[in-house]
Amino acid sequence: MITPENVLRHELIGRNVLVVHATNPAQEGISGMIVDETKSMISILTSVGLKHVPKKHTIFRVTLPDRVQVELLGSTIIGRPEKRITMRIRK
Amino acid sequence: MGEKFRSGNGKKIARERIDILFHYARLWAGEDRKRSRSCILLARRIAMKQRIRIPKRYRRQFCSNCTIFLVPGSNSRVRIQHGKVIVTCLDCGHTMRYPVVKQHAR
Repeated sequence: MITPENVLRHELIGRNVLVVHATNPAQEGISGMIVDETKSMISILTSVGLKHVPKKHTIFRVTLPDRVQVELLGSTIIGRPEKRITMRIRK
Repeated sequence: MGEKFRSGNGKKIARERIDILFHYARLWAGEDRKRSRSCILLARRIAMKQRIRIPKRYRRQFCSNCTIFLVPGSNSRVRIQHGKVIVTCLDCGHTMRYPVVKQHAR
């Protein structure tokens, strides 16, 4: 179960996401499904193609399976996807 | 939270993530094989990192050589020969042999 408490350690692939804020103004408002994740980048499949958004200094709004929306600070999910499970969460 | 929370939940989260990843690997197997393959690669990396096994129901669903999602009839061939199930990946030609054994009565 993906909950707002463990979303930082859980799988992001397959979740619908909206880029609320990004340092690149052209990337604000990108919405779609996350299809891939690297250490510092998230690939979003939108209706107009695949977009790559950096995690750093970006705010994502992620829709969880139970339709709860959470806002994630991209800087907190920096790290390889398999390593995020054991990651320490900083305030 | 903190230390205790981290050590207790890691393997549980890892199992859930493997479930999710194989679900999308199956979904994308037809449309985008590269994406489907990267899901399986990530699932395997998670399993290795957390030292858990890939569940039995998923273990025969991908090629152990090129980690592509196998769809019998489409990109894999399944034959029974000499008491073994022989699965051939039609992408890389790798063959996987599994013994046919009777289920032990518990």
